[in-house]
Amino acid sequence: MLAVLEHDQVLAMTPAAAASGVRPGMRRGGVLALAPQALLCERDAAREQGARDDIALALLQYTPEVAHAEEDSLLLDISASLSAFGGRLALCRRIRDSIQALGFTPHISMAPTAQGAWLLARHRRRMPRRSLRLASLQRRLDGLPFAILPAARAHQEWLAGIGCQTLADLRKLPRAGLQRRSDKHILDTLDRAYGSAPEIFEWVQPPQAFSAWLELPDRIEHAEAVLFAARRLVLQMIGWLVAQQLAVSRFLLSLEHERGRQAIAPTPLEIALGEPAWHEEHLLRLLKERLGRLQLDAPVIALRLQATQVAPMLPPTASLFPEPGGTPGAYARLLELLSARLGSENVLQPAALADHRPEVANAWQAAGDGLCRQTPGDALPRLQPQRPFWLLQQPLALMLRKHRPFYGSPLRLLSGPERIECGWWDGPPTVRDYFVAEGEEAACYWIYRERDGDDIRWFLHGLFA
Amino acid sequence: MFISTGTSSISAAAQSVVAALPHALWRADQMGSYQGVVTASGHPSLDRELPNGGWPHSALIELLLQQAGCGEMRLLQPALMRIASQRRIVLLQPPHLPQIAAWDGAGLASGQLLWIKAARSADALWSAEQVLRNGSCGALLLWQSHVRGEALRRLHLAAQASDTLLWLLRPLSAAHESSPSPLRLTLRPARNGVEIQLLKRKGPQHEQAFYLPLAATVAPATAPAVPPPSFAVPDHDTLDRHTPAAAGAGNIAPALV
Repeated sequence: MLAVLEHDQVLAMTPAAAASGVRPGMRRGGVLALAPQALLCERDAAREQGARDDIALALLQYTPEVAHAEEDSLLLDISASLSAFGGRLALCRRIRDSIQALGFTPHISMAPTAQGAWLLARHRRRMPRRSLRLASLQRRLDGLPFAILPAARAHQEWLAGIGCQTLADLRKLPRAGLQRRSDKHILDTLDRAYGSAPEIFEWVQPPQAFSAWLELPDRIEHAEAVLFAARRLVLQMIGWLVAQQLAVSRFLLSLEHERGRQAIAPTPLEIALGEPAWHEEHLLRLLKERLGRLQLDAPVIALRLQATQVAPMLPPTASLFPEPGGTPGAYARLLELLSARLGSENVLQPAALADHRPEVANAWQAAGDGLCRQTPGDALPRLQPQRPFWLLQQPLALMLRKHRPFYGSPLRLLSGPERIECGWWDGPPTVRDYFVAEGEEAACYWIYRERDGDDIRWFLHGLFA
Repeated sequence: MFISTGTSSISAAAQSVVAALPHALWRADQMGSYQGVVTASGHPSLDRELPNGGWPHSALIELLLQQAGCGEMRLLQPALMRIASQRRIVLLQPPHLPQIAAWDGAGLASGQLLWIKAARSADALWSAEQVLRNGSCGALLLWQSHVRGEALRRLHLAAQASDTLLWLLRPLSAAHESSPSPLRLTLRPARNGVEIQLLKRKGPQHEQAFYLPLAATVAPATAPAVPPPSFAVPDHDTLDRHTPAAAGAGNIAPALV
């Protein structure tokens, strides 16, 4: 139960508070008498302005022309965006979803004139709020009560006294008389709404760098729950990116903990993308996988999202037929996604080293590092000795039976030895004779005999597959 | 669609329809066919036993191995070689370390390899689904020992939505479990080859395991054609070495100054 006060009078309240009898305009004492458990908070103009700015930033992804209007409204010029987003209904739905994801409830209307759309949106009744033609807009506006014009509210009693009820009545009055006896903004607003006067806007300018901050309503202890709040910030970042025609290649989400005396340094969560992206779905999936792996040391009270590295947005490929292997961007996205969940040390690409020791030569590096070393064989084609497909993590010591190595069954040597003596510069040298051996059930193994000392020791090092 | 009870009992009218629409009739002793594309396995005797004559794309193919290293990579090598020339190959949770030199030696481009290690089975299945959904890789080899039925169905559905070749390599003990996979093979090691039995395929039941000779593990005993040593080209390899740690000689610790 919550009520918002301004100048010690109730301005707005939750439905639960309204049910217990709280009404707009009540004093603080009256509210506390009716609903003692109600939480009262003062109206915070700075935070309201901040919320409007956040929404405007998020909506910049639909059109570059977003303007603030009076009474907590935003005007969007969508004439150039209709076909890009699949028509007016689909666009309205996406705008509504975006605003709801930010945690606000919009009243959306659409009209050929901005002032007309504003009037339709302000009239919060269950009626169609979309007019596509000027004629139908004028018909619809005619039926609206004149009190929704902010300029006319001061003269409400006088206008009602001379029989005015709707905007149509207001327009029927003599213009000169109306202008002399009341505010001239009434006529200006009406002309703009009915399309007989031009409209001028001051469009929202996106900031040069993106950094958004969000205070969480409660302490969050689970990293997964942060995702819901982080989505609001990601939406704002996408609006900013699209407005600046940029794609993000590295961004930082800071999870802020306790401030003040027991301050804990924020947990940074830096996400680097292989391919610059600006799609909500992809960024959110990466965040989700990263947050899923994160262990929080302390509860989170606020979030900050920063785009630390951006690149110009590249247009989609212009080729007619899709490439069979998918685009290089698709592969980069796959690597990002896998690395985000499994860790980059578990998504590997070959980076062979020139060395005779098989366990050293068989080096792998994190995929997506870009730098793929040339395999040494490419430089000079040489006779490659036979190598098994599988190498054991640790060579497995083999038993000896009747002076022959034994692994499940006695092993029969097929070929060899291949002598490898190498690595004296890295500690104890590797001195081995490699053989290909076959077991009784006809599987082939790669085994070696260590030649240090007198005793013969056999090891299994690989499996031919 | 007609159901034939015997070749002789097909009426004349039906026969005319069959002649006009050869695909409208499938006899139980004929090999089935897939809607999608296949990649030839590179072994003609195996291709004869597979519907459409190759490994089907967009389907879950199960290879049931008696043990890791019983010839599965040599069996897949011709198909993988064809794929690796254009697209990437993903090894997901392989039983041992894949050896780069072996891939290069088998004529496969090792630069196209991606090795994914997953700690848990759930992570491996999730990764497999992401790889299939992404569609930028040509083949996916997944090693799993215990897969539940619903996970298999999920994999098969994901495979059907992509054009990636998906091989699931499981131990032979899984042969008795039911599976939605349209093609299941068991592999047992055999001398210089592999013994294959088709447990399940679209087509008549395959009764007898057959022996498929594969490229020999060990090169023939004839002396390899080693080029005569020439003095112009030194017979040494250059090796990658760690840079030695910089010797701290000459530096006196600042505390002593």
